[in-house]
Amino acid sequence: MNDSALHPLAQDYLKRLKKAAANLPRARRKELLGEIESHLSEALPAGASEAEALNVLERLGEPTDIVAEAGTGQAPARAGLLEWIAIPLLLAGGFIFIVGWFVGVVLLWTSRIWTVRDKLIGTLVVPGGLATGVFLMTFAATSSSGGSGSCISVSTPVGPNSPKVGKSVNHCVETSSGGGVNYLGLVLLILLVVLPVLTAIYLGRRATRAEVAE
Amino acid sequence: MIEYCVLALLRDGERYGFELVRTLSEVPGMVTSEGTLYPLLSRLRRAGVVETSWRESPSGPPRRYYRLTSSGRAVLEAFSGEWASFRDAVDHFLNQEKAA
Repeated sequence: MNDSALHPLAQDYLKRLKKAAANLPRARRKELLGEIESHLSEALPAGASEAEALNVLERLGEPTDIVAEAGTGQAPARAGLLEWIAIPLLLAGGFIFIVGWFVGVVLLWTSRIWTVRDKLIGTLVVPGGLATGVFLMTFAATSSSGGSGSCISVSTPVGPNSPKVGKSVNHCVETSSGGGVNYLGLVLLILLVVLPVLTAIYLGRRATRAEVAE
Repeated sequence: MIEYCVLALLRDGERYGFELVRTLSEVPGMVTSEGTLYPLLSRLRRAGVVETSWRESPSGPPRRYYRLTSSGRAVLEAFSGEWASFRDAVDHFLNQEKAA
């Protein structure tokens, strides 16, 4: 189908609908978007005025209402055991021989509760979860006792489903004669602890919000 | 209730989505948001009371046509009977009140 023939307002509407329908099962979302798109192309002749477009869109109704109607009659997507296992694994699974975190990622991506955006956040902030921070901290501690400045370049594992962005954290610990850890490193380490916790809270809230919305 | 109106519209032959939606929304008080009719059509299809097929359109992209299945026809027939007796029963009381 030719998107570009549609009125800009109609294209914008389709974008909003697509966003609202993100949690629908794939086949149902595809069918709904296809039907609304052909409705728009039937209702709006090429070169339709803005007022005509607004009328057609108003008659169609709010994208969220349409999606709510499409969601009825399906098994409601509610947070189950899978989600409540995934969150702690993403946070602390790295301590279980690192494999735990990967299991968390797989569970995260198989869940129907979270949107792609949620899943990307869950995977990338921070890869490895708390374990990454703790690992770096102990590494920094042992290397700072070594004496002169040292740089650690740690390539953190990236989730199997995320795009190939090898995320490498360059962590430099400059140890002058005394061996004081540099400020930047400290801030980084605190972030490595705080961010995974925030992500876990975020995922938990997103999961319960989906439950309420049903 | 709208489900049965859709089935009734399809009694005499197939129609495409936009045609169905516009026909329904032309009757005042029937439909508040045209868009919500598409999920309803999808539900009817999954329930097996209508089936769909794609046809070329004289203008623009192909259209998805809906038509009654035999089970849809049976559902419509059963509903028509029930609706008639229900309507008569309600009328009976409404008119009684008016007379009193």
